[in-house]
Order: sequence, then structure tokens, then C-alpha cells
Amino acid sequence: MTDTLSSSTNEYVHATEFADLALDIATTMLASGAHCGRIIRNLDRLAKRWELSVQMQLTFIGVVMTVTSEHDLFHTVTRYRSTPPHSVHLELLTEFSRLTWKATDGDLNFQQVQEETERIKRIKHYNSWSVALAVGLSCACLCLLAGGSFIDGMVACVGAFIGSIVRVFILHQKFNPMIAFVIASFVTTMVSGANMVFHWGTAPETALATAVLYLVPGVPLINSLIDLIEGHLSSAWNRALFGASILLCMAVGMTLSIALLGINNF
Amino acid sequence: MIANFIFRVLLDFGLAFVVGFCWGILFGSPKRILWIAGLLGAAGHSLRFVLQQTGTELLAATMISSVTIGLIGIYCAHKVHHPPVVFTMPAFITMIPGLYAYRTMLGCIKLTDPAIIRKTPDIMTQIGHNLMLTLSLLAILAIGISIAALLFRSQSVKDINFGKRQKKN
Repeated sequence: MTDTLSSSTNEYVHATEFADLALDIATTMLASGAHCGRIIRNLDRLAKRWELSVQMQLTFIGVVMTVTSEHDLFHTVTRYRSTPPHSVHLELLTEFSRLTWKATDGDLNFQQVQEETERIKRIKHYNSWSVALAVGLSCACLCLLAGGSFIDGMVACVGAFIGSIVRVFILHQKFNPMIAFVIASFVTTMVSGANMVFHWGTAPETALATAVLYLVPGVPLINSLIDLIEGHLSSAWNRALFGASILLCMAVGMTLSIALLGINNF
Repeated sequence: MIANFIFRVLLDFGLAFVVGFCWGILFGSPKRILWIAGLLGAAGHSLRFVLQQTGTELLAATMISSVTIGLIGIYCAHKVHHPPVVFTMPAFITMIPGLYAYRTMLGCIKLTDPAIIRKTPDIMTQIGHNLMLTLSLLAILAIGISIAALLFRSQSVKDINFGKRQKKN
């Protein structure tokens, strides 16, 4: 044990300060798609570093947290904070995980951890054009995997690309996020449904099914099951409900466009 | 015959690689590990393809490959110093049951039309079949991702060392 380590371990951090930081981390992680077990583990590590203990109730929309000193029972604080808008960003999970390990090893003091948290919160997602391109390519490949021909893949690619751009555009206009899902799936299905109506490809059904897959809330749904396995029931239900409502929005958009193109074509 | 089979497996591998890689971009995984997401996704999907071609049921094949990918993911997490979920999440998307989900939904839409119900009387059975497949496949993928929490007693993936002795700090 070096001198710097032991001196930084003795650093005094007030429970209120720590609760503010921990809520910041917890809400950001929730919004970027972490499951509850991961958040609790990360914050436990961080709290032990300053001899605090932390208890929390994580739901999908907010976090209640009680921070107590391990030495003084009356040195305690309980806070609530709701999460920012949800958008999956897995890079933040890595960064927070590394941050908490570094802090546990005694490499960072409290102020450095705060600065790092601010830096991590500002990390940008990939820009929307490259995301749209990636979405198009992967939907095309999923279409080919599902047994579509090359032309079906092309249709799925174009549909997913346009739909993704439309979704980002609507989200930027500050509409209700659910409307964005309805319209995006409507646009995508109109493009891939044209394939069904005009018989361009050999297996048009695969293009229809795979072109909208980029909207599937995979992270909330899988996280919901992980939370269920690990026993965080309220969060599990919230995530499942969120995922199900997005699926419903997709289905509404697809239904609208299928009805417009004629159900008997499908 | 054999050459044809190997070609199809390689094609499957390549397509699934692109899917995993691109889904990593959609989920915002760090640039450095996008290729791992691609490789894991490709390995999982082509393993399932091979198993299905050799006569394994869809659900069993998915179970085997998702657990395999989950375990390899823990190993990779040690190598690249990232939490496994960052690259296993996009990798698992390659096996997402999109076609079954779509058929379930289309069946539900058709259920609103009496003429179609009269034409296809077994429509409820089809919807139930597709729905159950969708749900079970999703649950299987979740089992694969959370395999670390299910099979190992350690709280953190960092402490899982596959029987090797932990390094003393």
C-alpha cells in the first residue's frame, strides 16, 4: 500500500455529495441501457471506497437512493431523481464500469470521479447517418439470413435506411417518441410492402419482416428478462411494458401501411 | 455436397458478422470492440445454422449457441477489458426471432377480418405457435446474456476466472 492510496482512502465525502454523484451515474446508466444488477454493483463498489453504504430502488423512470455512512448512523440522506430520455448507448456502461473500478483501486479522488462522470455523460453517440447506414446494411443481411433473395435484401436495406432517417428527424422535432416509432415503421413497411405488391423479389415476406427489426426494443426486452432473473421485479415490469408499447407502436405503423396496400396482398 | 455446405456456413457467418457489427453501431458500442460483437454474432448464428442443418430443433439449437456465446463473451471481456454485455447484446440480436414476431402480428391483423378466418380456420393455432416461438426465443437469448449471473457465484464478471487462480494484487 502506497502513501497516496491510504491518504485518498481516508478522504471524507459527505453522504449528500455522494448521493448526488451516485444518482447522476445511476440515472445515466439506466437511460443508456444497463440492467439493475450492473448499476447496483457499480455503485456499491464506489460507495465502499468512501466507507458509505448505498441502498436503492431502481425503476425504469427513476431512482430512489439512500446513502448512509458506515460509521455514523445519523449521517444519512435519501434522494430521488428521474431518468433522462432513454436511448441505448452501451459505450457509457464500459466507461462507468472502468470509472468505478479505478475509483475502487484508489486512483481517483472524489472530485476526479465527478469530473470523469461529467465527461462520460457528454460522450456522443454515432451520428445518425452512419447509424442509418448500419441499420440498412444489417436489415439487408438479416433478410438474406431469413431466406430472402438479393432483391429482397436491397428493398429491406432501403426501407430500413429511410425509416431510420425519418425516425431521427421526428425525434429531433420533439414529438412524442412513440409517434416516431409508428411513423418510422409505417414508412419502412410502405417501402418493403411495395416489394410484396409488385413481386420484385422471390420471398417478399422476409423483407417485410426484417426491415422493421431495427425498431425492435431489444435492449429493454432482454434487460427486462435479466432483471426478472435477478429479482428486480418493478424494473423488470417497467422495461417489459416499455418494450411492449414500442412493439405495439411498430405493429400499429405496419398495420396502417398493410391496410393501405391491401391485406389480401399479404 | 460438402463444399456446398461449407460455403453456406461461411455465407451465414459473413452475413451474421455484418449484422452484429452494424447493430453494435446502433447500440453505441465502442468502436474498438465492434468487430468482437460481429465475430460473436457470426459464431453464434453459424453454430445455430450448423446445428439446425444436422437435425437439432430450433429452440435447442438456439439454446446451445446462445449459452456458448455467453460463455465466450465472458472470456472476451477479460481480454478486451469491457463488460461482456457491451458486445454480447449486439451479437445476440443476430438470432432475434423477427420473422416469427412478424407472423404473429400479421396473424393478429388477419384475425379482424371474418372472411380470412373462414378461409383459414387454423389461424389461431398459427398465431399461438408463432407467439410461443417468439417468446421462448427471446427468453433463451436473455438466458445466454445473463449466463454469468446464472452459472457463477461471483457478483462481477471480473472475478470469474474459469478455475484459474486469481492474480494477487
